[in-house]
Amino acid sequence: MKKLLLYTSLLCIPLGMHAQQDCANAVPVTVGTYTVDGIDGEAPTPVCTTETTDQAGNGEWYIYTAPAGDDVFVTVTSDLEVNSGGDTRVQVYSGNCGNLNCIVGDDDAGNVGNGFLSVASFQAIAGESYYIAWDNRWSSAGFDFEISEADAPPPGQLTFTAQSTTTSGSRIAMVDMNGDYLDDLVSVSASNININYQLETGGFNTVNITTTNADNTPSWSLAAGDIDSNGYNDLLYGGGSGVTFMMANDDGTAYTEISGPEFVFSQRSNFVDLNNDGHLDAFVCHDIAPNVYYINDGDGNLTFYQGADPDGIPSGLGLVTNGGNYGTVWIDYDNDRDMDLFIAKCRGGNTDAKINELHRNNGDNTFTNIAGDSGVNLADPVQTWSSAWGDYDNDGDMDGYIGASSTSDGPTKYMRNNGDGTFTDISGSVDLSNTPLGIENAPADFDNDGHLDIFSNGQILLNGGDGLSFETITQTVPQSGAIGDANNDGFLDIFSNGLFLNDGNDNNWIKIVTVGDESNLNGIGARVEIVSPGLGTQIRDVRSGEGFRYMSSLNTHFGLGQDEEIETVTVHWPSGIITVVEDPDINDTLVIFEDENLGVDDITGNDLKVFPNPAENVINLETPIELNNAIYSVFTVDGKRVLNARLENTTIIDVSNLATGNYFIRILQDNKTYVQQFLKK
Amino acid sequence: MSKYYLTLTILLFALFLSCGDDDNYTPMAETDDDPMMTDDDGGDTVDMGVTIDLTAVPFNTLSEYGFFDGSLANLTPNEGVLEYTLINKLFSDYSTKKRFIWMPEGVSATYEADDQLLVFPVGTIIIKNFFYDNVLPQNARQILETRLLINTADGWEFADYVWNEAQTEATYNLDGSNVDIMWELNGETRSVNYRIPNVTECQTCHKSGDTSIPIGPKPQNLNKDFTYTDGSTANQLDKWIEEGYLQSAPADINTLIDWLDTSAPLKDRVRNYFEVNCAHCHIDDGHCSYRPIRLDYTSSILDENLGVCVEPDEDLGNGLTHIIRPGNIQRSTLFFRLNTTAEESRMPLLGRTLIHEEAVTLLEDFINELDMECE
Repeated sequence: MKKLLLYTSLLCIPLGMHAQQDCANAVPVTVGTYTVDGIDGEAPTPVCTTETTDQAGNGEWYIYTAPAGDDVFVTVTSDLEVNSGGDTRVQVYSGNCGNLNCIVGDDDAGNVGNGFLSVASFQAIAGESYYIAWDNRWSSAGFDFEISEADAPPPGQLTFTAQSTTTSGSRIAMVDMNGDYLDDLVSVSASNININYQLETGGFNTVNITTTNADNTPSWSLAAGDIDSNGYNDLLYGGGSGVTFMMANDDGTAYTEISGPEFVFSQRSNFVDLNNDGHLDAFVCHDIAPNVYYINDGDGNLTFYQGADPDGIPSGLGLVTNGGNYGTVWIDYDNDRDMDLFIAKCRGGNTDAKINELHRNNGDNTFTNIAGDSGVNLADPVQTWSSAWGDYDNDGDMDGYIGASSTSDGPTKYMRNNGDGTFTDISGSVDLSNTPLGIENAPADFDNDGHLDIFSNGQILLNGGDGLSFETITQTVPQSGAIGDANNDGFLDIFSNGLFLNDGNDNNWIKIVTVGDESNLNGIGARVEIVSPGLGTQIRDVRSGEGFRYMSSLNTHFGLGQDEEIETVTVHWPSGIITVVEDPDINDTLVIFEDENLGVDDITGNDLKVFPNPAENVINLETPIELNNAIYSVFTVDGKRVLNARLENTTIIDVSNLATGNYFIRILQDNKTYVQQFLKK
Repeated sequence: MSKYYLTLTILLFALFLSCGDDDNYTPMAETDDDPMMTDDDGGDTVDMGVTIDLTAVPFNTLSEYGFFDGSLANLTPNEGVLEYTLINKLFSDYSTKKRFIWMPEGVSATYEADDQLLVFPVGTIIIKNFFYDNVLPQNARQILETRLLINTADGWEFADYVWNEAQTEATYNLDGSNVDIMWELNGETRSVNYRIPNVTECQTCHKSGDTSIPIGPKPQNLNKDFTYTDGSTANQLDKWIEEGYLQSAPADINTLIDWLDTSAPLKDRVRNYFEVNCAHCHIDDGHCSYRPIRLDYTSSILDENLGVCVEPDEDLGNGLTHIIRPGNIQRSTLFFRLNTTAEESRMPLLGRTLIHEEAVTLLEDFINELDMECE
């Protein structure tokens, strides 16, 4: 029957019947070479290509059916010598003409001629039919194409499948907007927030929420966080001449605009609790001036600051007069359980504005740029718009992938954290020759193997396991986007000019939601650490605002490879509270509440002595425990952390800046906490 | 999860501006016995008309400088304030500009090279007035701002004067603001949310490395005739020399052509447009010098510096494969960036919110005319 149809169709082509003019009259094809005379039929939709997503005017339709029996790996290509100089685009669908689903699409994967020819490969299920549609996005001229079959790729190869979504506006975030801990898709225009709420049953509920006409749109970046702790994330629009906040109302159904009058040439924006008072603050990179931030007093006021300010952050957070601030990410690089700031910087010419900065959080509301300190090696002029920070070698500290946007001041830098506050440039010993230039770099474990990968400008740099080699995956990978789990299958998807669903594999995973109490509600700034038998320890920071433009999920995702259990999950909250959960379910979402009493039991008594007590300027520690470089934290009796740092081989702590009153000092060593009280005179 | 609703307000904190304390100026009164100077060639004495205490600038108002005679809005220059024009001008959302220059007594600029800025003496003030004609509903001229570049002992400083609605005065303000304008252009009603820049926006374009500089007054862009308010016509460089504003200039200057001159080759026109609209960033030591293109007139003679067949560092997607893809505007990043108003994509980055349609047409013609193959 099928064969008969095929022959009939082939006979028809020379007769000028143009049977391939629309989906319903798609011409059956199988392995072989075919000629498209010219493109003048019905345009294919949706567009599945990841590099170009705009609609074409016309298309030509074919239908391929995989042989019965085994699945096969099918390649459709126009990348043939005979087409040299041509320019094609192809879409491949499953389903039927009334309901086409993107399988794959390609614009320019070819190499022949100018490189504008197309190559699309997909795994075809035995006996299933697939529509192949060539369109005239670039050219209506005729060309030849070839279909070939090969054995299916090994299971586990990372691929994405484009899925059509109903959005309007700039597709910019994948983050939970309604408090159900499922990532939603957020698209924004000046007077509308389009949210595809992810349903527990799968799929989305698409809602458009009209807003006032925002003074600033998220043309440069968007960040999300719950400023007012009402359970619904608020949005920050980073615009070219200012910042707009969109505040979710108490049931998340409407948003109120707050736009500051200050001129801000926004770049990356973040939410983080800058002054560790439990209230989420906002930070915005300023392209051409010192950085700005908005301090939340937890009581109705967001206050704008720029640069160093005794009422804001006395040290400021990036003070170079002409700016050059492009991509910030808040990380705990020195493992002292507070958030430090890396600023990826970019600027032409001979200027300090291009020198990257690493601001160490001193734990007392001040920050110090230590990028140029001995051994840190991060005060680099590499022209970069964002950096991807993660523990790529799973040795318990955050390494930095400083992605170059241009090689004019040096190539991409890959910096291994030595665990002692210094970094080693290992760019030379890791093959980065295939890594792309560009503005978007963010970490995520896309194949759930327990080793962090890097999403960089149309490529996924797949971690070989030891953080010392990366395989570059390009096919089916979109250029950029927000990272999250759009179908709750535990595999990270990408949302930008389309929704690209990770096809997954058989690795295990866990997602952790941090719900703060003393700390900000999102738990932004928390350090999450898991221990599993095969992979050992993996770490993440809860971050709002990674890469350059997009807002990715606030849920913390770990791949587990073939590990079947997790021994412990530890959360170091920004408040200083430590939560430990043992043996959680895997392949599931674990919600951890800061106010649940799962904390580490403090050890009190003679294990830690403090003198003099009352203290005036310093306190001395006396203890039988091995202190080494333990983290000390000083809390008020209300539980607010006022000092936090590492001891750095001293037993003397300066408390001269503390107000008179009662305090607790806590030493954290080997996951045990030792606590003693003292009085400051 | 606690549910309480907070009303958030943003408290305003004044941003400290480095360009002087405008509350502490000392205006110089203009009197009849202003210093006189001897004219270079004639020996006649002329009233300089304008004397400015450079330690007291920037003044609070434009009128305090005394640049203009009579009604301020007429922009009639006083003696010693020299109007000038440029062969090629920056596109600023279709606004029109009137430019003037003033220097103190006894100093003058020096020539360095045809394609380099004149070296201006300390005390030089470059004055640029931005306005629209046929502004609706009155169908009248509306001056929006007067930007000054003041060459102080510490280098060029920015000052901006924002005009009042009555067009009687302009007041110092470097905070930046927006003005909605509706006007008639070639019989068509147009509108713009016009941006008056703040000091950091000024600095973004007007700099080399971190040093503030002017952009326009290069010999190659000044070397043309101009008709002065007294009705006389003269070559501008000759006039500047005559007035004592320029020491000397070679007779033979490699001069820009007007990019609107349709008799000129397309590439030449494009290079001329880029020189004044793009090269302030895309030049050695410019804001965007980390990008591969060099768009100053001198460098852009090389196709590679124009971006022809050069792959962009940043892949914008949308099938944009080269900065300029010969014969293919849809694959040309440069065309895409000039043909959009999206602030994250448009070029120039600042100073433009509308598409410069005539320039886009020129660029399209230029790209379509190119027929070389990229490797």
